[in-house]
Amino acid sequence: TEMAPTVTRSQPNRAYLGCSGTGASCPGCASHKSPSTAKSETYISLSQVLDENGKDVTPRPVYQPDPAAVQSKHSKIFASDTSGGTMSDFYSTTYQTTTNASFAGAFTRSLFGSGSVSIGSQSIMESMSEEIEDPSSKRDNSISLSDVQVKREEVKELIQEEMLDDMVDLYLVESDTLCLLDMPAISVSVDSMEAESVKERNSRYTELCKNRTGNDKYMGRSMQTFNGASKTKEVQSEAITMADAATIANNWDMYDSFCSAGQGEVDLSTDTDKAMSSSSSRMEMEPFVVPSESKPDPELILQSEEFQQHLFVMERIILENIYQPKLAAYRQLPTLEGMVLLKCWNHVTEQLSKQKRLRREESSLDEEGPPTPALERLWSFSCELTTGRNVSSMAWNKRNPDLLAVGYGQFAFKDQKPGLVCCWSLKNPSWPERIFTCQSGVTALDFSASSASMLAVGMHDGTIATYNVQSREKTPVIDSSDCVHKHTSPVWQVRWINHERALSGEDKGEALISVSADGRISKWFLRKGLDCIDLMKLKRTRNDRFKRQVGEKERKSEALISRQAPGLCFDFHPTDSNIYLAGTEEGHIHKCSCSYNEQFLETYQAHKGPLYRITWSPFCSDVFLSCSSDWTIQLWRQDLFTPVLGFMSTQRAVYDVMWSPKWATVFGAVNEGRMEIWDLGASILDPTIVNPASPGVKLTSLLFATETDCVLVGDSDGQVSVYQLKNFTAGEGTQDVSILQPPMRLVKSMSADRRRLGLFWFYIENKNV
Amino acid sequence: MAEVEETLKRIQSQKGVQGIIIVNAEGIPIKTTLDNSSTVQYAGLIHQSVMKARSTVRDIDPQNDLTFLRIRSKKNEIMIAPDKDYFLIVIQNPSD
Repeated sequence: TEMAPTVTRSQPNRAYLGCSGTGASCPGCASHKSPSTAKSETYISLSQVLDENGKDVTPRPVYQPDPAAVQSKHSKIFASDTSGGTMSDFYSTTYQTTTNASFAGAFTRSLFGSGSVSIGSQSIMESMSEEIEDPSSKRDNSISLSDVQVKREEVKELIQEEMLDDMVDLYLVESDTLCLLDMPAISVSVDSMEAESVKERNSRYTELCKNRTGNDKYMGRSMQTFNGASKTKEVQSEAITMADAATIANNWDMYDSFCSAGQGEVDLSTDTDKAMSSSSSRMEMEPFVVPSESKPDPELILQSEEFQQHLFVMERIILENIYQPKLAAYRQLPTLEGMVLLKCWNHVTEQLSKQKRLRREESSLDEEGPPTPALERLWSFSCELTTGRNVSSMAWNKRNPDLLAVGYGQFAFKDQKPGLVCCWSLKNPSWPERIFTCQSGVTALDFSASSASMLAVGMHDGTIATYNVQSREKTPVIDSSDCVHKHTSPVWQVRWINHERALSGEDKGEALISVSADGRISKWFLRKGLDCIDLMKLKRTRNDRFKRQVGEKERKSEALISRQAPGLCFDFHPTDSNIYLAGTEEGHIHKCSCSYNEQFLETYQAHKGPLYRITWSPFCSDVFLSCSSDWTIQLWRQDLFTPVLGFMSTQRAVYDVMWSPKWATVFGAVNEGRMEIWDLGASILDPTIVNPASPGVKLTSLLFATETDCVLVGDSDGQVSVYQLKNFTAGEGTQDVSILQPPMRLVKSMSADRRRLGLFWFYIENKNV
Repeated sequence: MAEVEETLKRIQSQKGVQGIIIVNAEGIPIKTTLDNSSTVQYAGLIHQSVMKARSTVRDIDPQNDLTFLRIRSKKNEIMIAPDKDYFLIVIQNPSD
């Protein structure tokens, strides 16, 4: 009864018709059932279908519903529950109730035959029933399935509730053999029983084919098929433009990308592969944008800091190209003399070997006689700012021996103009590194040793200023113009002195000492601004002793303008920073001590004119030199009150004298017209090397270079020329102080026999009459 | 700015300096003291050279960078100061 409505749902009629018509000829045709019979009968009766051989190939229905509702219940369980049940379950359940094993077999066959994947879906069954035009057996089966489905779902629920805790017996029985595919063979073995009939059939068929050709029963007929009108269709698309994109991934390119993407620095030195792989993974995650480079304005480029720095470096390199041989000579590097550096390499090596040969020849010549010492002019520091100015003082930087400070200022009172301090670097002889303009002429300079960038400047109007050469500021760090006790006359010398021993409450460390023409030697310090205390006031002394020697008539005592003698120079003892020598305009040298600021310890009188320079010997701590405008240079010993040696070469005032830092017996002197290098080991009467000044130019200052054997000479035209001492073999044991002793012993011995020297001394004494 | 001009003038007046060219990052000359054709030629060729040199230095060690390049030839010397945004090129013949 329940089956009836579902049967009508499908489209059975058409199928029935079709099936009935061809029932005989289609062996696989399903059974048809009449709707009427379905109602009454519990199971479907099928008409017999026989194939050609008389075999009963009646398809049996998949499902034959039993009268018992239990059976349907069980079957329903199977159909609806695909997810829960497995095939084995199905079998077991059906077997519980059904005795007909073939049911299961038939049912399953239909399942497979219909090809449905999920049994439990009604929709598939329905769709299949629409689509399948073939034998209605399937449809019937599907119908039955769908019917079954409805019932089974209900049953399932019941079971779930009631029978969960029941013990269920499962019987496993071997099922029937399922025939999934039955393709009858098309060939038959000769030995088989059917062979005869098959042969006969085949022969009948060949005969039929033969008879076909001329037979009236068969007529050949031609058919025409429609050829669809063809139509060409064209499609035009835009030209696919291909663009080649290429990129170079260098080592540094990847490194740059890392840094700019803010990924932090990856240590590429260890494992670049690792980095690459990790970077690629990272790039997939975050969209990586190559930073676009903006074009900077040309003006901005020209004004940028880096550009200035590059220009600075470039300038130095160009100058190095120009001055390379000279600088190399300065540094005492082997130079390729007379060489144009741009010749080809073969030529260079040729020259080198030639020079080596020459040198060897020269050195062999040396054994015959020493080559004459000479001065070679290397270069000069000058620029258009300095031309016309008088070089008054020069000082090396204590920490950087390549840095030179030069002070420009007039000595004479009348032609005063604003002074200039230039800091020159060895790397750029054509333009100073720092330029400081001062309000009055610069007369003294010194670099500090403790803070190497401090430069103390003494000026013609008595001002003392300190500059910081590291900064680019043009103004002094501190100035003494506000100080109450400042100097009122030109400051002729400044020096930074390191007091090792603290004296009565004074600070240890470096102090700035200055001497000025107002007769005071002052020590400057920073207290609330620059302030000074007087170390010494240089009092005038009467040279009674001298008068007695000469035997002149007494000079009229003149009214003195000032009780102080202008101080022109001073020098502290190299080892004992308490003792210093001061030279005055009167020609006296006073030995003073920092502890006594009232009295001189000693006075040395020999010079007739203002003393321009006093220097202690750096090698022999008892000996000092002094030079003055009375055309002489005097060599003194601390304990002797008359000079040990006097040197005079021309009748010109000697402006500057300096001991060589390298050789104990060598010193240099500069007078107005020429520069002289004296070597006491070679001769005490004449300078060893004489270098005349250019006409019209007066030489004013002298400085030895500390690390090389070069001499700097400043002149009144603003040029500082650098000369190299060549072939100077003054004393192999240059540090040996005893070298200085022989000349003095010689003097002492000679003073007994005054043949040559006596004349010399006499000349000096007579001159001053 | 005045300092830059002064320095450029000083460089130009040094012995043997034949020309100064300042080129921007793309190889276009910004400022030059040579004639146009030479400038363009120098700028183009030197640009490539510097790129190659810089690539070489950085390939060896990516944390390194090129700071200065000097090419000395028979007739003169070309000195290049490269930077991110520009090149400063000076041609000098020191034996003049």
